[in-house]
Amino acid sequence: MNKSDYFIQLNQVTKDYQLGKVIVPALKGVSLGIGLGEFTVIAGPSGSGKTTLLNLIGCVDTATSGQVIVAEKDTARLTEVELTDLRLHTIGFIFQSFNLISVLNVVDNVEFPLLLQKKISKAERKERVLHFVEKVGLQGHLNHRPNELSGGQRQRVAIARALVTQPKIVLADEPTANLDSKTGQTIIDLMKHINETEKTTFLFSTHDHHIIQHARRVIELQDGLITKS
Amino acid sequence: MNPFLLIAARNLVKNRSRTLLLGGAVASVTLLLVVLLGVVAGVRQTLLENALALSSGHVNVGGFYKISQSSASPILTGFQPIKKLVTETVPNATLILERIKAWGKIISEEGAVQIPVWGVDVKREKEILGKLMLAPKRDYIEGFKLAEGQTEFEGGVDQLANRAGIILFATHARKLKVRVGDTVTLSVPTYRNMSNTKDVRVVAVLKDLGMMSAYTAFMNDLDARELYQMQPDTTGQIMIYFRNLSEASDGENKIRKALSERGYPMLDKDPNPFWMKFGRISAESWTGQKIDVTNWEDETSFIKWILDVYNALTFLLTGILMLIVVLGLVNSLWMSIRERTGEIGTLRAIGLQRSKVRLMFVIEAFLLSSSSAAVGVALGTLFNLILNSLHLPIRGEAFQMFLMSHTLTVAVRGQDVFFTFLAITIFLTLGSLYPSSKASKLKPITAMNEAV
Ligand SMILES: Nc1ncnc2c1ncn2[C@@H]1O[C@H](COP(=O)(O)OP(=O)(O)OP(=O)(O)O)[C@@H](O)[C@H]1O
Ligand SMILES: [Mg+2]
Repeated sequence: MNKSDYFIQLNQVTKDYQLGKVIVPALKGVSLGIGLGEFTVIAGPSGSGKTTLLNLIGCVDTATSGQVIVAEKDTARLTEVELTDLRLHTIGFIFQSFNLISVLNVVDNVEFPLLLQKKISKAERKERVLHFVEKVGLQGHLNHRPNELSGGQRQRVAIARALVTQPKIVLADEPTANLDSKTGQTIIDLMKHINETEKTTFLFSTHDHHIIQHARRVIELQDGLITKS
Repeated sequence: MNPFLLIAARNLVKNRSRTLLLGGAVASVTLLLVVLLGVVAGVRQTLLENALALSSGHVNVGGFYKISQSSASPILTGFQPIKKLVTETVPNATLILERIKAWGKIISEEGAVQIPVWGVDVKREKEILGKLMLAPKRDYIEGFKLAEGQTEFEGGVDQLANRAGIILFATHARKLKVRVGDTVTLSVPTYRNMSNTKDVRVVAVLKDLGMMSAYTAFMNDLDARELYQMQPDTTGQIMIYFRNLSEASDGENKIRKALSERGYPMLDKDPNPFWMKFGRISAESWTGQKIDVTNWEDETSFIKWILDVYNALTFLLTGILMLIVVLGLVNSLWMSIRERTGEIGTLRAIGLQRSKVRLMFVIEAFLLSSSSAAVGVALGTLFNLILNSLHLPIRGEAFQMFLMSHTLTVAVRGQDVFFTFLAITIFLTLGSLYPSSKASKLKPITAMNEAV
């Protein structure tokens, strides 16, 4: 693959955290590229920098040095408003602890990003929401609020919410960490299925060996550096 | 439904006890403001009614005549053509009549009071004076107890049709220790810088009307003419009444314009009752007649400060309470924001702009304050209507004096209600801007750190 074909590209990226007077280097010069349609796992021990890396790619944090390019845009040059727009239109997020809006039911949670986008009509929106709610198998729980769902079901809602805008890439930081291994496996199977049917790019972190075995590509992090890509 | 509205509304419902507590506080302050404004408006309305019954039309054409540089008489010479001109200028006036203004001393064996005494033609003023009520004897006769076969009232307003009579308010009757049938001496300074006197009989004692009645008594206009040695073409002032208060200011301007176009010498506008102008006028160097056009507010301006004090107190009190409520709201929003940090971060991460986060919390504050204010306004209005229909008697002379009435009158005015609702809603919503914009500055990365 040609270098410029990568949808996401990192060049010599470092990230330091300031912890009081101590500077903690979390990433020490990471370069990598991710193309569209990939199903990639970021693996590595705790503290190796997986979350930090995903945050930079997801435009919710900025690098200390180096370049993070998402959809041909150098994220360091974007304003807060532009970054927010990039997150809204290009990236889908799945969080470790689901992060649903507690006062909204399944349908409203999934519909929310579409309402922010304001791109499609009400009828289309309803149809799209239903499509993805069915895809994650929650058609029987349309009006349930998050606290009326199990952990696995909540993460399915989160997946539907991340997918509903049909983003170019879905980022997931340890999406199965708060689930039992069987449920975690079905979630990974679901993401893989969606990757195959909808051609959505997935990039997620985990340290679960079962899951790593299913990935097509594994990026290994160790102490802020890539050891295998 | 707008998603922000939905989230805001659902969060208010979710934090039910906090919402009810705060909403209750907002509603209570709103209610208080509506009631206080209603009472002040009621006093104002009573003041207007009293003024119109006692000493002023909606608009008055009066003036001063100076026979020498140092004198000043509150009279209008050659009034007939002026009255004709006024009648033509404001055809919408419902009643135009003239009265003689006297400023003099009423003297009894027990004391004296110095007040304006109006020379009136009772027959012509049936409509106006008919509104006044006789005072029960116990109001002005010391230690009076109604015995078997006695009546509670004595005298009558229409007896002033006879010469040599005077009508007093209870407050003066008490001070002078007189009752109906007693004789008092009237003494008025004339423009010869001397005083003319006349003995008159008390024909009626009227129920006090708050502070206004402390500045009013009535006598027969022919007696007043005699005291002032007035020519037939002379009167005190022409009083003009309209159907609606709203016609007054336009009418006043028209009359002023018509008179000055006709070449009548006019006094500059001085928003005070005539009896407060003697000093100034008698110090001026001109002589002859000048015309003074005033309205009911000018004639009651010596009382209006009370309304200003009421308004100031109302706003001070509600202002302090509002400040407390705003602090409560800000605090409550803070708690809400703290609890929802992860949620806000999540929304920011999935693409909600900062400005929309702010909007979300402002909407929450707006929903809470507008609905609570609406409840407060509704309850306050209901309370006012009930209060007004009860005709609660006001006990105590001081209260009667300052509330201008012997029963509590509460006016329910749409504009007050609307103003209160708007003021409270806007004030609180503005108060929410600070915590809301703090919330909007939360970083999307907090979504990753806070579990939801
Ligand atoms: N906000 C922060 N402030 C200071 N140091 C931080 C912060 N976030 C992460 N770090 C440090 O940066 C390094 C990388 O952290 P990161 O969270 O990216 O690791 P991770 O691979 O996601 O770990 P885990 O598997 O436990 O989630 C760690 O040493 C961590 O202590
Ligand atoms: Mg992590």
